[in-house]
Amino acid sequence: MMAEQREEKKQQYSGETFQVVSFRLGGEEYGVDISQVQEIIRMVEITHVPRAPRFMEGVINLRGQLIPIIDLRTRFGMNRADHSKSTRIIVTDIGSKRVGIVVDSVSEVLNIPVENVEDAPEMVAGIGTEYIQGVGKVDTRLIILLDLSKVITSEEKQVLETVDEAAE
Amino acid sequence: MSDEPFDKEEFVAYFRDEAEELLQQIDGDLLRLEEFVDSGQADPEIVNSLFRALHTIKGSSGMLGFTEVQGLAHKLENLCDLLRKERMPLSEGSVEILFSGRDFLTDLVQAAIGQSASPSGLIEFTGRLDQFVAIYNETSNVIEGRAPDRGDGGNSAGSEPMNEAEIAAFEAEVERLLAEAATTSPPAPTLPTTPVESVLATPRATAVTAAPARGSAENADAKKGAPQGKRSSLAQTIRVDIDRLDALLNLVGELVINRTRISDIATTLGRLMGDRALKASIGLIGPLSKDLADSAALLARTTNEIQESIMKVRMVPIGQVFDRFPRTVRDVAKARGKEVQLQISGADTDLDKTIVDEVGEPLMHLLRNCVDHGIEAPDERERQGKPRMGTIALNAYHEGNQIIIEISDDGGGINLDKVRAKAIKNGLIGTEDRLTDRELIELIFTPGFSTAEEVSDVSGRGVGMDVVKRNITKLKGIFDVDSAPGQGTRFTIKLPLTLAIIQALLVRVVDELYAIPLDSVIESQRVEMPDVRTVHGAEVITLRGQVVPLLRIADFFELGGERDPEKVMIVIVGLQGRQVGLVVDSFEGEQEIVIKPLSDVVGRIPGISGATILGNGSISLIIDVHSLVSDAYAGGKVTRAEFSGV
Repeated sequence: MMAEQREEKKQQYSGETFQVVSFRLGGEEYGVDISQVQEIIRMVEITHVPRAPRFMEGVINLRGQLIPIIDLRTRFGMNRADHSKSTRIIVTDIGSKRVGIVVDSVSEVLNIPVENVEDAPEMVAGIGTEYIQGVGKVDTRLIILLDLSKVITSEEKQVLETVDEAAE
Repeated sequence: MSDEPFDKEEFVAYFRDEAEELLQQIDGDLLRLEEFVDSGQADPEIVNSLFRALHTIKGSSGMLGFTEVQGLAHKLENLCDLLRKERMPLSEGSVEILFSGRDFLTDLVQAAIGQSASPSGLIEFTGRLDQFVAIYNETSNVIEGRAPDRGDGGNSAGSEPMNEAEIAAFEAEVERLLAEAATTSPPAPTLPTTPVESVLATPRATAVTAAPARGSAENADAKKGAPQGKRSSLAQTIRVDIDRLDALLNLVGELVINRTRISDIATTLGRLMGDRALKASIGLIGPLSKDLADSAALLARTTNEIQESIMKVRMVPIGQVFDRFPRTVRDVAKARGKEVQLQISGADTDLDKTIVDEVGEPLMHLLRNCVDHGIEAPDERERQGKPRMGTIALNAYHEGNQIIIEISDDGGGINLDKVRAKAIKNGLIGTEDRLTDRELIELIFTPGFSTAEEVSDVSGRGVGMDVVKRNITKLKGIFDVDSAPGQGTRFTIKLPLTLAIIQALLVRVVDELYAIPLDSVIESQRVEMPDVRTVHGAEVITLRGQVVPLLRIADFFELGGERDPEKVMIVIVGLQGRQVGLVVDSFEGEQEIVIKPLSDVVGRIPGISGATILGNGSISLIIDVHSLVSDAYAGGKVTRAEFSGV
């Protein structure tokens, strides 16, 4: 990530600190800006949608609204994991679209000073870097800061491609 | 009063609705007026109704600064005035000029609200109109000197002054109400409806047509075969019966009360939980939880009623569409030199607004077809011993959860020999092919098929019947044709009342529940494996002598799961005469479901048309029977040829 982009971000995130919700995925710890998180819910029954894109785990009923669930593990090329008691769904709004993201567990809300955030290394665990804002250091922990809107947007593109293929 | 600080856009939308409604009414009035041409004497009621409608259009267009509309409405009003005062005889010519005037007015309204370009030929027309008015004005001016006392003064002398007074009072009322509407500072969308509605009530009350005069969303002008496709981009509004909204409001009130009650109970329960002297309170918990249960039940009931009410709010009478057909039929009949009467019944049958909007064009096309191809020329009819005037009946009624629309004519019926010859000529079938009458009739739905000898501007371009069928299918409707040579043709359209709530059969496949819309389910049954045979590698069963291909849902959706080696549970679904047996694991009963679109959530998934939330909160996907059936036939292993050859 370019230095000026981080400058921009610095202003965007109320100056001094990144306030993030941190969660675990595989052996790693991630963080998303708290303003992107609508709510965090416990795992509910997910209805499988046949022939949907692979990362799309299915849909859930959130108070009468259908919400697609995205499996971040699949998206990031990790092995799928069985859902456990600590599995959570992070509900986020992208534009007018509400989606849920399955994570292994949600840890806490962290304030990470801007000076403790570094640019993402070029290659991080096989993830493209476009949705990684940086890596935050909290004591000895490394928190990978994700921009959920970028994760979703590229998913959507894929969905659209799938739809086009199906139409032909 | 054109630059008042009111929300112009809102008024334009309102004006559009009002104008459409009035133009529709004018059409109806003119059609009735035409019946009096022979007597040369117009029914004053009709002329007054026309006059008032034109006057209202003039007033509101003037208010919005639509001077062209205003100008033409004024001129037409003058013409009506001549008729009203009996200075001008009612003739073929005067009715015709009123009809064209009405058409120009429609075009001008469209142009004014930015829906289309200004119509051409307007200047010539207004010139003609002016001439027309001038002729009679001059002649009558002379008479006017000694006015009402004319040769035939007997009947008019009595009625005229009264009409005059009526009109004057009415004009004053219109002026007042319009002024009121304009000066009321930006009102809520529904507010301005009330005053003008009361104005509209007058012409509506005098209308004697079968259907109430209502507006429709598009201008469908048969005479020009005109560009009708473009639907207004202004906000879509529908007029709603105030009683229906009141019912809805009451229900919401109940819901709010009940919500408060439930949260009160919950609070009390919460307090009890924290209470140290729980032992003392424990006796209270019993009644409280009963209260909670009652409240929840009431909440559920109210919610259901609200849902129904909202559905009803969306319902509008199909007459909205029917109203413009008499004109179409008249114009087409005139153009083709035929005599046709259109009998409409069931115009007050309600159905969902979205369906009403979509069904107009297919119906219009069918009616044109009836006039053009169905009804014979008058002389020909006489030769066959039929009345010279052909009859087309348009009927709508409810049947269960469906609305049935029938169009029947007493014309020549579909000439199957012609269909056959044409199909052979077009290479659709071979000369050797033996087709049943039904299959022959099906051929008219093939794109590009038309048996008309010559291409007329009415129909016969070979586009149409296939489009009609496609549109009906898109609305989840069923389209059927019956025809008896020499006696006529009947088209039957069955449509669901609404697209939002449907009756569905729930089935289990592997471990998910799927909903299959009940309207496409023919039957469900258990079939023993030995009765499942294969044709070309595809599984089929024989059902009452018909071979039905099977489609395993689990395979189609790649769900995995194990096959039962002994039997299959089959839901037979049908679409336009094609049947497919969907193989499922078990039947889980019927249920009314609310359709939620899935496409904006996960993209379009082949074979799935949407999702629904069941009573227990779980989600069930709705199977898209249409795409499965097409898939089973087209993309699948069983082609029609092989199929009929078995």
